[in-house]
Amino acid sequence: MLEIKHLCAGYGKREIAHDISFSVNGGEILTFIGQNGSGKSTLLKTIAGQIPPLSGDMIIDGMNVSEMKRNNVAKLVSAMLTDRPKTDMMTCRDVVETGRYPYTGTFGLLGDADKKAVADAMEMTDSAELADCFFSEISDGQKQRVMLARAVCREPKILLLDEPTSFLDIHYKLTFLEMLDRLRKERNIAVVMSLHETELAEKISDKVMLLKNGICTGIGKPSELLDRRKLTEHFDISDELFEKYHG
Amino acid sequence: MKKRTVISFLLLSVLTVMFIVISVLAGSADISPSDIINILFGGGSDETSAMILLKIRLPRTLAAAVLGGALALSGYMLQTYFHNPIAGPFVLGISSGARLTVAIALILAARGAIVLNSALMAAVAFFGALIAMSAVLLMSSRIRSMSLLVVCGVMIGYICTAITDIIVNFADDSDIVNLRGWSVGTFSGFKTESLVVCTVIIFAALTAVFFLSKPISAYQLGESYAVDMGVNIKAVRIAMILLSSLLSGCVAAFAGPVTFVGIAVPFLVKMLFGTAKPIVMIPACFLGGAVFCIISDIIARTVISPSELGISTVTSVLGAPVVLMIMLRKNKDNVRD
Repeated sequence: MLEIKHLCAGYGKREIAHDISFSVNGGEILTFIGQNGSGKSTLLKTIAGQIPPLSGDMIIDGMNVSEMKRNNVAKLVSAMLTDRPKTDMMTCRDVVETGRYPYTGTFGLLGDADKKAVADAMEMTDSAELADCFFSEISDGQKQRVMLARAVCREPKILLLDEPTSFLDIHYKLTFLEMLDRLRKERNIAVVMSLHETELAEKISDKVMLLKNGICTGIGKPSELLDRRKLTEHFDISDELFEKYHG
Repeated sequence: MKKRTVISFLLLSVLTVMFIVISVLAGSADISPSDIINILFGGGSDETSAMILLKIRLPRTLAAAVLGGALALSGYMLQTYFHNPIAGPFVLGISSGARLTVAIALILAARGAIVLNSALMAAVAFFGALIAMSAVLLMSSRIRSMSLLVVCGVMIGYICTAITDIIVNFADDSDIVNLRGWSVGTFSGFKTESLVVCTVIIFAALTAVFFLSKPISAYQLGESYAVDMGVNIKAVRIAMILLSSLLSGCVAAFAGPVTFVGIAVPFLVKMLFGTAKPIVMIPACFLGGAVFCIISDIIARTVISPSELGISTVTSVLGAPVVLMIMLRKNKDNVRD
């Protein structure tokens, strides 16, 4: 589904992630694990088209992204980013509807199929009852669900999420991941995301990629990569410190 | 369409027509509604009344409507572009930039160096607006704070106004008869030709902006979201800059400085419609700006009649409190965040 080949990512001349390769199939979750500044966000932003890749190829269903129209890429890939949208006087339904943008015509008006996709996505993410509330007035956990509905109503093949569970309490964290798990199975979506919570990443991911200073130091099954010895080394934590707070 | 949107559009349309009629009726010469119908639809009437109506009141009213609409629309685009509710063509110095180049062109024309027609004048103003806009854009890349950007814009405005003053001071009196009245802003004295040129340019720009309402709605959410939605962000940015400069330049060239309309009207319209969706806001701002300026113009020429107030005097009194309100609201929102 999504294939990344020798991707180098960064801003202008500053290369942050070096020579990254991986592939994800439909229904799979791949999670980036790494310290702050290890290049997780930069990679996700590059795959999402927010910053141009410095070199390398991104291939979706056999098509090279660099040869595709922006609007067509948007139909296949949708991203949930860390920065919040500016939603002056927008209801949650309005916000979700913006996800259908690549499918709408000249004036961006939604057809019946679009409206159904929006309603389905809101149902699926438990945000249907928020539809008429102003987006600016709901809680962080609710916002995150609405943003997921927005990303999902596009019916993408690939979903990118940058630290989707940060700032959420344990209840919202777990229900969010449960939703994501259901979604990828039901809709066969390939998910690429970054998570800080290694214990959650281990449970939900099919593959994890360890990133350190922009270099991939390991990719594979979470059970193989996320054992204690590798984790303490990857995050530069001493055994005592790990034992005291995490063991 | 939502019920509220339909009702609000109806309300604005009724207000526009109502105030156009009031504006045409208001003035020292008594012209009755039946006179107006006679003059417009060919019936017997005396020539003085016809003259006053067709050559003075009607062009002035229409100018207030069209230019007011243009101002509000250009303000709305600038606010969207900068994600800043207190951005506007006047506070960002764009109007002053347009006036500077127009002043130079007027003096050159008076000296016989160039022949200035309305279309050329609009082009010159557009050019000046773009120069000031470029200065604002250069600064905006370094400034994150909304209020600082506005302060920078005000400074750019002062610089342009100062240069305009210097140039005007060095010019002969005869060169600048045109400039004097125009430096306080007015919708009076429109020649039919200028009015036609203005109207054509402004309606072309309005149509173009309306066709941009979809990418503008994506841009509104923030740049990264627009990219996620597949928008060519560079093209949208350039289009917004060019169109808002064209609109505000056009007003600055033909009516001089008209303050606060660009900020107050989009805000009031947003409150009335209860939405910020571009597809509603674009036509609504235009209508709102038209109503606001027609009312301001009626006040400007009636309160101290037979003398007249500058249009900016009235728009400031009506508009500045709205701007203050926006800033106070914004602060409240920040506290809540």
